[in-house]
Amino acid sequence: MATFGNSDGGNGGGGGCNPGKLPEASRLIGEWLSGSITPADFDLLQTMLQDCSEVRRMLREEVNLEQVLRENASVTADLKAWNPEGLPDHEGEGEAAAIPFPDQGTKARAKKYWISWAAAASMAVLLSAGTFLWGGRHALSKDLVQEETNRGCAILTHVVNAEWLDDDNSRRTGDTVNSGMLKLACGFAQVEFFSGATLLMEGDAELEIVSPWEAICHSGKVRVRVPPPARGFLLHAPGMKLVDLGTEFGVQVNPEDLSSEVHVFEGEVEAHPTNQDLISLKQGMGLYKEGNKVAPLPGVRPDDFMGMERLDAITATRAKARYDAWATWKKDMCGDERLVVYFPFERQGKWQRMIGNGCNPCNPDRNGGVVGARWTQGRWPMKDALEFKRPGDRVRLRIDGEYEALTLTCWVKVDGLDRKFNALLLTDGYDAGEPHWQITQDGKLMFSIAYPDEEHPEVKRNQVHLSPVVFNRSNIGRWHQLAVTYDNCSGEVIQFVDGKEVSREVSPLYQPGRKIVYGACELGNWGLPLQDHQFPVRNLNGCMDEFAIYQIALAGDELKKIYEASKPE
Amino acid sequence: MSSDASASLPQPPEHYETFVRLFVHHEGRLRGFLRTLVRDWDDVDEVMQETSLVAWRKFSQFDPDTNFMAWAAAIARFEALKHLRKQSRDRLVFNDDILDLLAEESLEEVDSLERHRSALGKCLEKLDSRQKELLQLAYQPGVKFHEVAAQAGKSAQAFYKTIQRMRAALLQCAEKQMQAEAAT
Repeated sequence: MATFGNSDGGNGGGGGCNPGKLPEASRLIGEWLSGSITPADFDLLQTMLQDCSEVRRMLREEVNLEQVLRENASVTADLKAWNPEGLPDHEGEGEAAAIPFPDQGTKARAKKYWISWAAAASMAVLLSAGTFLWGGRHALSKDLVQEETNRGCAILTHVVNAEWLDDDNSRRTGDTVNSGMLKLACGFAQVEFFSGATLLMEGDAELEIVSPWEAICHSGKVRVRVPPPARGFLLHAPGMKLVDLGTEFGVQVNPEDLSSEVHVFEGEVEAHPTNQDLISLKQGMGLYKEGNKVAPLPGVRPDDFMGMERLDAITATRAKARYDAWATWKKDMCGDERLVVYFPFERQGKWQRMIGNGCNPCNPDRNGGVVGARWTQGRWPMKDALEFKRPGDRVRLRIDGEYEALTLTCWVKVDGLDRKFNALLLTDGYDAGEPHWQITQDGKLMFSIAYPDEEHPEVKRNQVHLSPVVFNRSNIGRWHQLAVTYDNCSGEVIQFVDGKEVSREVSPLYQPGRKIVYGACELGNWGLPLQDHQFPVRNLNGCMDEFAIYQIALAGDELKKIYEASKPE
Repeated sequence: MSSDASASLPQPPEHYETFVRLFVHHEGRLRGFLRTLVRDWDDVDEVMQETSLVAWRKFSQFDPDTNFMAWAAAIARFEALKHLRKQSRDRLVFNDDILDLLAEESLEEVDSLERHRSALGKCLEKLDSRQKELLQLAYQPGVKFHEVAAQAGKSAQAFYKTIQRMRAALLQCAEKQMQAEAAT
């Protein structure tokens, strides 16, 4: 048997390796795995591998370890980035905040460098080398980081029944909030500051966010909870500054006479009335302030202030009600004879890698097979969805028959547009009559049908339809309903987002009467890319909840109804 | 033209279920196997995608009484070679003799590598949260380790060494874990 170490005289005998060389082999394997090995060392490693089964075993174990580490990391990789600047140097409280993935024009690669703030903070502690990461990150995704670090202060973690009065009436759960005014007409909003403080506002209320560490309550009721890392969080009320010493308290401001009340439910708050001495408020104490008058409150009224737990319960109840309404609607909807296939994406206990065609009566030949994609939460906590992340993730299906028209609809949450084309539904290959539905990297919906010119196959004759940009960083990471209709009689392609028409056109290449076919196809990926295609990898980065194909082009008002019946909130 | 006749053959759904079940079950092992053959984890992703498709197309030829891992690994190995040929072979790819040895021995050791993986998983659980976060940072998808470390300048060394120490500790722990399991 060959022996390791032959090249420098070798120890020959016994078929073993020179144990003295094993540490070096280990180093070389590490460098090979990290891609940092020099050519000379690589040659040396090859010699060792060739000669010594023990080194090969080490290599397999190291690769095994790396595979386990990567699998593990990819499970938690959804922790989104935190804003590291403007924060004191301490470890963060658990929850990570969602900042959406790359902006248009930012290289997709940049997203890979968004890392968890908490992870980075502990890294700094561990290595005392915290700065390099921020340096590195900034170098790699300049514009995006710049903008966010300057302005983001908090995340809206719960928005229930809310109507906003200020500019941005479309604020939703998961949105990042910059410094500025939040005017809530009714409903509830939970704001989690990047400092760790949580504030719950109850409409009608006006709150001005100053920084991750400071806010002003201009009117209405807020309840603030401050965990130890956020001690020192500052809340202003008219004529008064409240410094939180790690606690939970409520503030109510009456906008008419600018009077305010402070109720301390737990811990301690320092109240600094303008031009007056500091007042320390302990648990169960309250303060009333009007003009220059300051008086103790006879008792605190915690029940007057909506609590986080109660809000959770309300959110859960509302989600359940929406889900139930959808489930009831679905019972009728799935009997629609115009459906070709319908995937409600409800996990079936017995065999969760198969997704059932939910049409009633059901054609089981149109069941789908899940490859790679994982089950996750859908539009509501009690609803399933499939998450597509890795290049191999997909749902396979097969649809027979020829059609004269189509409507495609789905609920999708896009987490990032990583590819030049990001698949929704693609047929294997791209032959005559086959539709392709995808999202371009710059955020447009793209629907196309292939009708190659048989005499001149090199000439592209595909009917391609692009919508205006519909995905940008403000609406990525949210559930949206997408739809497209086409019929081969009018040739008109109409695209919809959330029940609203976004584009309508007839392709100049359109010829009436040509059939539509599907055959083998995939959700969230491209099964059989054309040979030598420039952009063969098209996996979706996001989640899909509901998906349907109809054999007619549904009218706009009907799609609007479907949207209303199935929207998350 | 682009359509592949064999891909279009309708397969009974049970057939597909069997395939998916087997494929998902062996996916981790196949990925580890492929990493020894190609240049980096991005290549593994690409080759896995091809491998899954080819395996599905050829699944009717698979004899269920035989070892799926061996069968799929043969396909993966072929797809990896195709991939390497397309890339005109990188300097970080081992020569054919070594590839043959590695592939052969990986298959012989499928079971023990699987035990090793599960032992590693248990050892990972024992780390404290800071260590877990550090590993998460270094191995998150799409990040090349040397790219993260390269940003570090002087502290890249510290970063690298810390990671290497943790790796060594994990491997040691896994070995003990496996010995303990073998003893019981």
